[in-house]
Amino acid sequence: MRLSHTPTSSEELKPSLVPPFLAATLSLIIPGLGQILARTIRRGLLLLFSFATITGLLVWRFIETARRDTGLINIVKKGLSLEPALVILSILVIVFYIWNVVDAYAIANRSGSNPAGLLFLVIIIFFMLGWQIGQIDLVALITQADDAGPALTSVLWPWERSIEYPKDIVTTTAQIQIPCTETPPAPSGALEDAPYLLADPTCGTLTEFEGAPGSTVTLTGHNFIPNTRANIWWKDPIGNEFRQRQGGEYINITPDENGAFKIDIVLPYRLVPANIRDVTTIWEIQIRQVASIGDWQFSTELKLAIEKIIETIFIGMMATFFGILLALPVSFFAARNLMSASPITLGIYFITRTILNIIRSIEPLIWAIIFVVIVGLGPFAGIMALTIHSIAALGKLYSESIESIDPGPIEAIQATGANWLQVVVYAVIPQIIPPFVSFTIYRWDINIRMSTIIGFVGGGGIGFLLSQWIRLMDYKAAGIAVWFIAITVAILDFVSAEVRQRFV
Amino acid sequence: MLEVRHLTKIYDDGTVALRDVNFIVPDGEFLVIIGLSGSGKSTLLRCINRLIDPTEGEIIWDGVDLAKLGGDDLRMARRKIGMVFQHFNLVRRSSVITNVLAGRLGYTSSRQSLLGRFSAEDNAKAQHALERLGIEDQAHKRADELSGGQQQRVGVARALMQEPKMILADEPVASLDPVLAHSLMQQLEILNKEDKITILCSLHYLDLVQRYATSVFGLRDGEIVYRGTREEIRAMNDEEFKEIYGQEAERVGGGLQGDLLTANGGGA
Repeated sequence: MRLSHTPTSSEELKPSLVPPFLAATLSLIIPGLGQILARTIRRGLLLLFSFATITGLLVWRFIETARRDTGLINIVKKGLSLEPALVILSILVIVFYIWNVVDAYAIANRSGSNPAGLLFLVIIIFFMLGWQIGQIDLVALITQADDAGPALTSVLWPWERSIEYPKDIVTTTAQIQIPCTETPPAPSGALEDAPYLLADPTCGTLTEFEGAPGSTVTLTGHNFIPNTRANIWWKDPIGNEFRQRQGGEYINITPDENGAFKIDIVLPYRLVPANIRDVTTIWEIQIRQVASIGDWQFSTELKLAIEKIIETIFIGMMATFFGILLALPVSFFAARNLMSASPITLGIYFITRTILNIIRSIEPLIWAIIFVVIVGLGPFAGIMALTIHSIAALGKLYSESIESIDPGPIEAIQATGANWLQVVVYAVIPQIIPPFVSFTIYRWDINIRMSTIIGFVGGGGIGFLLSQWIRLMDYKAAGIAVWFIAITVAILDFVSAEVRQRFV
Repeated sequence: MLEVRHLTKIYDDGTVALRDVNFIVPDGEFLVIIGLSGSGKSTLLRCINRLIDPTEGEIIWDGVDLAKLGGDDLRMARRKIGMVFQHFNLVRRSSVITNVLAGRLGYTSSRQSLLGRFSAEDNAKAQHALERLGIEDQAHKRADELSGGQQQRVGVARALMQEPKMILADEPVASLDPVLAHSLMQQLEILNKEDKITILCSLHYLDLVQRYATSVFGLRDGEIVYRGTREEIRAMNDEEFKEIYGQEAERVGGGLQGDLLTANGGGA
């Protein structure tokens, strides 16, 4: 933006078309108009344009702030009371407006007016509008940072999540005879090191449908895992399992610190087939408790992350591979020095360049969304997205390095009587290999980085896990993914720098 | 014998680089072409081996009109014409030996050269050429690691690999300092005298012209404006030289004889 007042020769020679007072009045009606008629057209247009933009944006901010109000006065009142920034902005716009009028007068009077102040004012106004529109909230940044602490700590050191202890349900049983006979089953004996369950008595009657409640049995357990919840289940004589309810609710027990508990339960209501309804049957009562079994092992999250980081690296690799393969022929069509032989080839050159530019201007993430629609979720969509983008990027870089090769060696090799193929092999290829290698490694680098986030839109790789874990607020698992990404990118950085140094 | 008749070159943009040039070069001659930059020297040399296609005229060499050749015939003819360039035109990233062996490409099949294979005989020739030019210990360095003087020797060695009957040298010493310039010109003189290779060389410096040329002609705006024999050149003084050459004529520096001692010593 140049509001320069330094008069060009024509401005200096010709006097203003309007007298100063008229110019000021015109600028009062339409900001900038006075300046335009005073022959400082560029300055006038810039003022007009800035004023229109600023006013438009300010009106929009007022309407946004006072969303529920109607009527000009209400909106302005609400806006000013809710947002102190709008008060300052309104004042600045009024200052700008008045200044514009004064400026018009001074310009038309040819007495000179420094535009730096106006320019500064416009910048300040745009900055404040940006602050408003961007909803910049530095207070939140400081006061809410504490709340993010636990999550961020998890991300920084997530490794306790990398191992887990396998868990299984330990079932301890006791037998109940229904209905009671002369010889109820003997209660199981006490055990030394395994949980055991005693029922007293070991027989009883079930609850009847809309009738008498069943008999009460006292359950006593020992050697259970202390302070860990356990559930009570039944297994009826035909093998069906169901949970014990009392008063309509499932009941849970929590053994004390010694692993013991004692609870009275009422035998449940249960519809059983007719053939066993009136005979004596043995029912099983079970206490199920989740317990760790065996040694630690790598967690599912870690295994998934490893799987997906491998997938990620391969997405990047395959995309680079296909990108190179397709960019090579394309780059020859996009090299001006090779394509300027005839209007037709020059036309191909321009078309190729245009297509490459269009493809390149669309972000790989957007390509990934497009390919997810075409080929479905998964790594293939990611590979396709990165391939397309790589073709465009490499095609451009390759063709530029072809354009910049030194013609000297080509003519020298031609002069030896070499044929076309020999000229290409001995004079062209040695010159383009180093930049090609360099650009390819650079692209590989970018592709691996991109493949780590392409999963956010369903393109496969570790990004998919990361986005899922973040949404589940499983920050430890997300931390594992972040660490893997960081390690991969760091290693890759190192390797690509090394390889590039070797070749170039 | 090389005979050039009515050679004219007009570029696509309408620039007339050569206008009806006629001359004869007997075998074994050391012909020096002098002229300002833009006078058509480079175009003339490149027309002879057809790096540039002439607009009109004949270039008759050993009874064949080079201007009419195409395809394989042209390549066969080029094999016998070596060329040395002002900016050396080496493949900078390739090794010295690869650059020198490239001189044999005209004699090698596409398949062999694609694999980078050259016959044992060619390898021996390359070794010999490097020895002759005193750069055998640089053989496996990358071309761009060498100094300017050494690079130009590689350029000469590459031309030598073609077993040429004629060498075209386009300002071969313009990128070198005076000592190296003399040293390189001496190498060309040796090739001229010992191997009987005809040399066409464009030059800038009067003392080099006087010292090495067996025949001279001057180009100005694409036309031959001066022809002289060895004796006539030797007798010429700076003023006469400037007259044909224009005001920018210069000497390498020092006296003609005095310089040679240092030139002999300062080969690399």
